[in-house]
Amino acid sequence: MAEARAPQKSLPKINPVDRPFWEGAANGKFLLQKCKSCGKVQFFPRVACVDCFGELDWIEAKGTGKIHTFTLVRVPRNPAFKDELPIYYINVILDEGVIIESRLLGENKENIKIGDRVKVRYEQTHNPEIKLPCFELT
Amino acid sequence: MRRKRVCFVGYGSTEYSRKSEESQLGHYATAIRAALNQTGLNKKDIHGLSITTQASPDTAPHVAEQLGFELDWVLNADYGGAGGVGAVRRAADAIECGHLDVALLVGGNSFDRSVAHQRPLEYQRGNFVDVYGYGGPNSLMALIQRLHMENFGTTLEQIGKIAMAQRFNAMNNPQALFREPMTIQDYLNSRMISDPIRLFDCVMPCSGAECLVLASEEKAKQITDKLVYLVTDAEKVHYQVANMLPEKTTFGMKVVGEKIFSEVKREDIDLFEIYDDYPIAVMIQIEDLGYCEKGDGGKFADAHDLTYNGDFPVNTGGGELSVGQAGLAGGFLHVVEALRQLRGEADGHQVKKAGRALVTGIGWLNYGRNLGTTAALVMERRK
Repeated sequence: MAEARAPQKSLPKINPVDRPFWEGAANGKFLLQKCKSCGKVQFFPRVACVDCFGELDWIEAKGTGKIHTFTLVRVPRNPAFKDELPIYYINVILDEGVIIESRLLGENKENIKIGDRVKVRYEQTHNPEIKLPCFELT
Repeated sequence: MRRKRVCFVGYGSTEYSRKSEESQLGHYATAIRAALNQTGLNKKDIHGLSITTQASPDTAPHVAEQLGFELDWVLNADYGGAGGVGAVRRAADAIECGHLDVALLVGGNSFDRSVAHQRPLEYQRGNFVDVYGYGGPNSLMALIQRLHMENFGTTLEQIGKIAMAQRFNAMNNPQALFREPMTIQDYLNSRMISDPIRLFDCVMPCSGAECLVLASEEKAKQITDKLVYLVTDAEKVHYQVANMLPEKTTFGMKVVGEKIFSEVKREDIDLFEIYDDYPIAVMIQIEDLGYCEKGDGGKFADAHDLTYNGDFPVNTGGGELSVGQAGLAGGFLHVVEALRQLRGEADGHQVKKAGRALVTGIGWLNYGRNLGTTAALVMERRK
């Protein structure tokens, strides 16, 4: 009989399209795609510019921005996150002008407000090669 | 049938290989870019997208999100070897009907199953959302509701009024799972799920099904003397997808509404069946449809009686919030309720003057914004 196994927290399945992003995160860099034709930046990583369909480059973002909106997740889709509830799930507008969905960590997160300034903070996952870009209040 | 105004204007191909590191989406992008280059068309000229593949369960809206297409028409032409011809036929129908003027029809495959990017849905949610402990649709709508409350001063009482009105409507609907009265205190005291979304904001998943029968006018007249016509319909897929700072509290329903109300007068609608996975979604759609200014949905809820015997009847049988959400039957529930009302068969919750109904559908969670798909139609009872 198979033993009951505790659920694992979700991890990204890294692929050729977003590998630069995850390698960047593992090395403390927040990389964004930038269109070679129109110069617009975008997130999440895709195979073409969603504005002009041009080909893409990578640039390093500052990793700073502000809270656009947030929710406190009390019922996560994956029960592996149960011990960490509530999860401060946030939308951040990076200073480069794109929205990132992520998570707020750190001491003062209970005081979160829309418009608060945040900076990226890389969290080690249970896979030694993968770090998640999360945020904390500045 | 004879086609009147459909032509082939260009094509694009990729290289073929036995083994490729390129994802399926990457192949699509290469072929599409070649076709755009050949025809000189801009991405924004493309209003329709059809996807034909045997390798992925992913559907045209997800592919469109990845590639940045804002569309008036999408199709999964997953008909095996007939997919190419099938896609052409359906696109031609749509073009003749005037839904769109240019469609991209794409077919493809990546033989390398190790490429995780194969499945856009799995990719986007798996790599950038679920890893943070996301709470699913409840959390998405919580992000939107918080912004609506913050930006426009919308109150929980105003949002709760929508849930209460629908519960009132459900009390005489034997199909509804929830038929006991709901007070505003019941609503406010219900368990927090993903702040500020509470339990009574969320639809109840359940089992069930809905079915509709459509026929030509000639045939319909042989079947019934209760003739209900489809008057007009429209959709918007990935509204403002290329905008990296989207206005989260406006759905594609804004564009759908403009199209609908270029054919029918707003004030000529008698009842509203508005897709209601959450009360805030109903409120935002009322704004998007132009029944009040953006942000005034709360005031609108205060000023109107949304029950079946009120001045602005919404979700007259209780909607999904009180009836339950039987999976994708949810999108049909509203059409069936409209039909019941227009035929005068809504015993116990019948709208007095039910000549014309507006029905909406919304769906598809997309990254950092709100909803990928929005659509609406108007139905009318004629003697």
